[in-house]
Amino acid sequence: MKIVIVGCGRLGAMTARRMAEAGHAVTVVDYNRQAFNRLGADFPGEMVLGNGMDEDVLRRAGIEHADGFASLTNGDNRNIMAAQVAREVFKVPRVITRIYDPIREDVYRELGLHTICPTLAGARQIHGMLKGA
Amino acid sequence: MAGQPMYVIVIGGGKVGYYLTKHLLERSYEVTLIEKDARRAEQLTSQLGEVVMVGDGDEMSFLATTGMERADVVVAVTGDDEDNLIACQLAKRKFKVPKTVARVNNPANVRIFKTLGVDRSLSATEVLLDLIERELSADPAPQGRAR
Repeated sequence: MKIVIVGCGRLGAMTARRMAEAGHAVTVVDYNRQAFNRLGADFPGEMVLGNGMDEDVLRRAGIEHADGFASLTNGDNRNIMAAQVAREVFKVPRVITRIYDPIREDVYRELGLHTICPTLAGARQIHGMLKGA
Repeated sequence: MAGQPMYVIVIGGGKVGYYLTKHLLERSYEVTLIEKDARRAEQLTSQLGEVVMVGDGDEMSFLATTGMERADVVVAVTGDDEDNLIACQLAKRKFKVPKTVARVNNPANVRIFKTLGVDRSLSATEVLLDLIERELSADPAPQGRAR
């Protein structure tokens, strides 16, 4: 599969590495060149420097042929916008976005985005662990 | 409905938001200006009066306190395209605001915002570009100035 990941922070870099190691063609987009260091020197995928909400940058990352897309920057709104561009403009079949704010996550899940909310997932897990103690 | 002023919510208290609010008030619109930064909001209040609310224009629980469900127009003019998009989408889809207007920096986003449900968006970059090109095309033989 061809995968485009926007945001090369901890989550973006780890996801990119895992998918590349599993044999997928991965391209990571970030506007900070230093962020690519997280991928390690032996990263077999591609790196594109630029704003992941900009359609020209996404085109350079090969989004027109992507099977999957994930927006994993630190900004909820940036992720939501990038995910909508991937889905509505480029018609990428599988689009995932990270949203920290549970309320905004709820809104955009309802509106049809595939979302993950680490705040909610973390709170649920911690609740479960504390209960079990 | 004569006598009932239109209710406009402006999101983003930068220069554009300030002048927009000022002129809307002069034209007797009912206006609320939303600004994230408390200090900036205080400054805006001293110039515009009690029409400024401090809060995040992308935060649902805050937006519910602005009377957005009765707003006629929401205008998002922060400096960040993504924030303006999300503000307009929340206004449109969660608060059923009939008209949403966004400012965009990247001219390509005018088309994208339309696809994503914003009623009108405006790019100052694009307007300036148009203006420059129109000035140039009025000239029968456009060429650089002799240097």
